[in-house]
Amino acid sequence: MDKILEALSKGIEKSGIGRKRVCLVTDILYDPEVLETLKIDLFHTSRGRTIPFATGMKLANPKLKPVVIMGDMATLGGNHFVHACRRNMDLLVICANHFVYRRVEGESASGDYDTVSYSPYLLFENPLNIPHIARSCGSVYTARWTALHTDELTRSISHGLKKKGLSVIDVISPPAELLDFYYRHSEIRNGEDTIHTGIEEEKKIIVGEFLERERPTFIESYNRQLEEVLGDQFVKIEV
Amino acid sequence: MKADPRDVFTGTYYIDGDVAMAYGALAAGCKFLGGYPITPSTEAAEAFARIAPRAGARFIQMEDELGSIASVLGASWAGQKAMTITSGPSYSLMMENISLGAAMEIPFIIINIQRAGPSTGVPTCTGQADVMQSRWGGNGDYEIIALAPDSPQEGFEFAVKAFNLAERYRCPVMLMSDECVGHMTEKVVVPEASKIDIEPRRFYKGPADAYLPYKRDPDLVSPIVKAGDGYGIYITGLSHDEKGHPVLESGNSYDLEHARALNRKSTDQYLVDKIRKNRDKIIEIQEENTEDADVVVVSYGISSRVAYRAVEQARQEGYKVGTLRLITVWPFPEERIRELAGRVKGFVVPEINYGQIVFEVDRCAEGRANVVLVPHGGASVHQPEDIYAAIRQLLESKKRYENVFEFRTILERKVFGGGMLKNRS
Repeated sequence: MDKILEALSKGIEKSGIGRKRVCLVTDILYDPEVLETLKIDLFHTSRGRTIPFATGMKLANPKLKPVVIMGDMATLGGNHFVHACRRNMDLLVICANHFVYRRVEGESASGDYDTVSYSPYLLFENPLNIPHIARSCGSVYTARWTALHTDELTRSISHGLKKKGLSVIDVISPPAELLDFYYRHSEIRNGEDTIHTGIEEEKKIIVGEFLERERPTFIESYNRQLEEVLGDQFVKIEV
Repeated sequence: MKADPRDVFTGTYYIDGDVAMAYGALAAGCKFLGGYPITPSTEAAEAFARIAPRAGARFIQMEDELGSIASVLGASWAGQKAMTITSGPSYSLMMENISLGAAMEIPFIIINIQRAGPSTGVPTCTGQADVMQSRWGGNGDYEIIALAPDSPQEGFEFAVKAFNLAERYRCPVMLMSDECVGHMTEKVVVPEASKIDIEPRRFYKGPADAYLPYKRDPDLVSPIVKAGDGYGIYITGLSHDEKGHPVLESGNSYDLEHARALNRKSTDQYLVDKIRKNRDKIIEIQEENTEDADVVVVSYGISSRVAYRAVEQARQEGYKVGTLRLITVWPFPEERIRELAGRVKGFVVPEINYGQIVFEVDRCAEGRANVVLVPHGGASVHQPEDIYAAIRQLLESKKRYENVFEFRTILERKVFGGGMLKNRS
């Protein structure tokens, strides 16, 4: 099974929020048989539109906890990520980080890492510093692990599921044969300022839990504001 | 089922079509609007945002149109009736997810207050040029239902109708209004909740372990469940089988040999069939004086109101002119046009574009009746005199036109000279 799905399954168990409440929203194909074993709803949407899809779900039924698995925003949908953080929508966003187009996100089998079809002459582009973007845009919990940090990742997912607001977990998930390489070249620095978590050549990949804070969620702010203005006329969103 | 009194703001109002459509959507039980502002549809979203919190409905201004339509799909899967309101280039931005919505078979509606195009066009002025786009804007084969109101009152009523059709057939429904109807202020009567019929969502009622998301009832529509009901559904925009699981081996049809061999069939063809085979139940038209007509004016939306004056004038002068107004633009009433084509001299089709529905009329006329288009470039409505002159021209013509003929409006002849008709080919 895909490392991220495995951690998600364990994380749901650990968090105790119940499988019924978790809806997985992705923009890539997952094996339906694997999903059947997870016993959660899956919505495979159009590419890059996972976050607004999950936003609609959350607002229509606030009891749900949508979990988004997306690419590292090098594809479509970066704008949605920024605004979901700003709103502090109550979602868990897992970025399957493969450093800008190095492979199709979420694929558990791999091709040749250095010569994927879109970059036949090797790569020169820089990856995004996702924890930093998440933090500056307003997310309430931010962590990064490599796909081999299974226990830590499970713990972070469990925490993100329970945490109210937008949690972002950046998962370094290169092709299978490189998992170990990235795991060995990572360094755990919990609480590190995200300004230092950029991924650079010849440097260790900083992993850990970087941010934990409280902010009112979109639905909390919505309820508070409209109740203040409309009083008894307002039909509250039940959470 | 009747409407929930909490959703219905009963009363007699003097409001524009945009606002009336927002009232209509709420009355239909719409609980979610994901929107992004664009002229001339903003009044509808504003009205919804103002009223919705009192009806337990939610409005969110998304970051862009792509987000709006995606949030609508998500909200609908979470079990609420959902819609977005848009116009012009914003409608174009939504096409990808309309296609996804059709493939997932999730009910939602889009209110499109059409403006003049293409592209940014004339933002504040009217148009009817998104009619073909509403049917085939997204990639792939699917069918949708489109409605065209011609007054604010119909804006209210058709919004209810649109939601009912969406829930009934699990498909996107387009409320294809236009700037004129959207910004036209008239009397609108919102009846009591007990007088409004609502189509409830077709929830699955059988045993939990036997549920298949795309197992169809005899009318080709399948019952639905909500996200979070515990069914562990797998929903995808990929071609899928009854379980919802991707069918990637066999292409797009449910009867390919390979699919048979695998005993797995894609349900793609049903997206088309469930609308086409139910079209008698879906199609609504309004006909007047067609029994003995020599000429039938086929129109929809604001153009039908403008045409009415020309038809009235022609009838007063003793000409036998009937009208056929499309309430559902899609699916198109092919059978009826075919019937009429056998016994009328011709059709006059005024529309605010350079020919979209007219080609459907021509296709169904099958060369048995003349078809004249009264075109309009947009930004305003037709001059009734032009439609009247086209009716006269058609009645007086002796020959059979081979293709659609385009009527040259009074303005065009002033500017460019020449006769009243030109062959479209």
